[in-house]
Amino acid sequence: MIKIRFFTLLQLLLNRKELELPYIPEETIRTLLERIQTQIETRFLHKLLQEQGNLKIGTIILVNGRNIHHLQKMNTPLSDGDEVALFPPGGGG
Amino acid sequence: MKLTDSMLLRVNLSTHTVSEEPIDENLIRQYLGGRGLGSKYFADEVDPMVDPLSPENKLIFACGLMTGSSAPTAGRYMVITKSPLTGTIACSNSGGIWGAVLRKTGYFMIIVEGKSDKPVYLLVYDNNVEFKDASRVWGKKTGETTDILLDEVGEKRARVACIGPAGENLSMIGCIINDKHRAPGRSGVGAVMGAKNLKAIVVKGSNTIEFKDKSAFTGAVKEKIDKIKQHPVTGEGLPALGTKVLDNIINQGGLYPTRNFQFATFDGTEEISGEALVKKGYLKKNAACFACPIGCARDVELPNGITMEGPEYETGWAFGAHCGVNDLHAICEANFLCNELGLDTISAGVTIGTAMELYEKGHIPKEDLEDGPELKFGNSESVVYWTNKMGRNEGRLGKLMAKGSWRMAEAYGHPEFSMTVKKQELPAYDPRGVQGHGLQYATSNRGGCHVRGYMISPEVLGVPEKLDPQELKGKPQWVIIFQDLTAVIDSAGLCLFTSFALGLEDYTDLINASAGFELTPEEVLRIGTRIWNLERKFNLAAGIDPSQDTLPKRMFEPLPDGPQKGAVHQLSKLLPEYYELRGWSPDGSIPKKTLQNLGLTS
Repeated sequence: MIKIRFFTLLQLLLNRKELELPYIPEETIRTLLERIQTQIETRFLHKLLQEQGNLKIGTIILVNGRNIHHLQKMNTPLSDGDEVALFPPGGGG
Repeated sequence: MKLTDSMLLRVNLSTHTVSEEPIDENLIRQYLGGRGLGSKYFADEVDPMVDPLSPENKLIFACGLMTGSSAPTAGRYMVITKSPLTGTIACSNSGGIWGAVLRKTGYFMIIVEGKSDKPVYLLVYDNNVEFKDASRVWGKKTGETTDILLDEVGEKRARVACIGPAGENLSMIGCIINDKHRAPGRSGVGAVMGAKNLKAIVVKGSNTIEFKDKSAFTGAVKEKIDKIKQHPVTGEGLPALGTKVLDNIINQGGLYPTRNFQFATFDGTEEISGEALVKKGYLKKNAACFACPIGCARDVELPNGITMEGPEYETGWAFGAHCGVNDLHAICEANFLCNELGLDTISAGVTIGTAMELYEKGHIPKEDLEDGPELKFGNSESVVYWTNKMGRNEGRLGKLMAKGSWRMAEAYGHPEFSMTVKKQELPAYDPRGVQGHGLQYATSNRGGCHVRGYMISPEVLGVPEKLDPQELKGKPQWVIIFQDLTAVIDSAGLCLFTSFALGLEDYTDLINASAGFELTPEEVLRIGTRIWNLERKFNLAAGIDPSQDTLPKRMFEPLPDGPQKGAVHQLSKLLPEYYELRGWSPDGSIPKKTLQNLGLTS
């Protein structure tokens, strides 16, 4: 299984905190995001991605706490049991 | 009045006299205003060894270059003084409306000198000032003080900046509160005001700012507002959830200091997050400071009827994860109490968390609690109770807490439990998880602080680009640029949050268009470098030895949990390069040549 956790604006937009999907071999962040969107009626990918499908500046996607920018970005491979956290751009201080 | 044709008001509280002085335009070119210009006057006029709570210390209220104009977020003002908490030069920055109205009085800066023999407040309006008796409001909380003074002045458009009981009682973490909910919060600037018997400054004004080329300024402003509104962080993330959008981001990244920095993740985060503030129905509506297109402020109403602004991310963390508390209501109450009593929320919450660790480890005896609740992590009753005692300077422990966490921990023989840099409490990011941000904590000119160079932006949020938080290469240069650019933004009178969307070229455009200057981006950044070195020079002369450019001992011990488990801060690998790139000596002193290059030799 892959556990997906929705945070900040996504959590409020989708009115849900998490989703579990069965693991599929050769899954990447890109294919996972597309698969999540097919499971959820509310459109949300535009909160994370630009029109071309690249990450928006400030979008944070963590795999087991590690930012995919320092893995293989949208092509980051996933393993069974991974936890993926999704955050649209945010800031503060 | 022309933007660069500005006057300063000098107020002597000992003699109850005032004078006006024009400000040399060349000084504005070199320091802009606010933090830069205020620090320049302060460093020129005050002995660095001055006792911060003596009449010889000065207290400067300074508008930034664009404060009061229509530039995006141009409502900021700064308070410059020598800090009783850190012994460094202090500059605390606040939003709201007060700063913009100060500019409309016709004054760019107020330099407060001496000490009044009895409590007073100042009424400043359209190039006039009056000394008013403050005995009626002395001892009162900030909300009531504000209401009484507005009533007394009889002008609804007037604005009040005042201290509460904490500042009056010389709490070293006492702040100033303007517009009831906004604060130049850090470094104990409220105590300096209290030591001068100055309860408040009320401003009202009708002056307008004139620009050399109004259409150039209006055009630049429009372009920058569009950029801010179109950026995903300032156009959507911050307006939607305010700064508390960060709770889960920082916790999931494994750098959310928990239980006095003993851990880096908090299992109660969901219950105290920005999302929870919405779901529990506490958030009533968004709010904004003067001329702000972002609007990150929150108007909150608690079930018990308390209405307030906030809590901000740092405050929610300080009374929440830092104290192991997952009760959002108690966190909001503690925040409200800080505003009412005039306490810095970061320092107050961190001090309570420090006391909790000291108590749990047996270093604070139970009898010192007197009638108070036990200082155990997770005890929400405790954070509200002890905030009240601290803010009112009551009881043995409350009096110690009012001095900040370092002095309290030292009094119990264990200063190592105080999570401070230069005796100022660290904010809500564990430096072991963000190497650049940790370097910035260690080198900050006002001690532990996140807004002297917010490296969280590139290292965690990925703005303007994503840096690996554990990478060391290149970090000193990033920190220096962030520190210097922040000094520019502060001095320009703009909010640091604009920097999520704007860069050096944008600030250069605004500065040139507003003041009629023709500075290059390199010259503008150099202003920031000059301000940074001016502050450093003052601190060195004040006896702040470079050995204090460090972090609490705990930051060199491995993180025990979370995705960054095992990480330590690697300051010793970063600091020598930082000094070298700054043009400083390996011992942290500033060579004469570096000072000369920046025009800082007298």
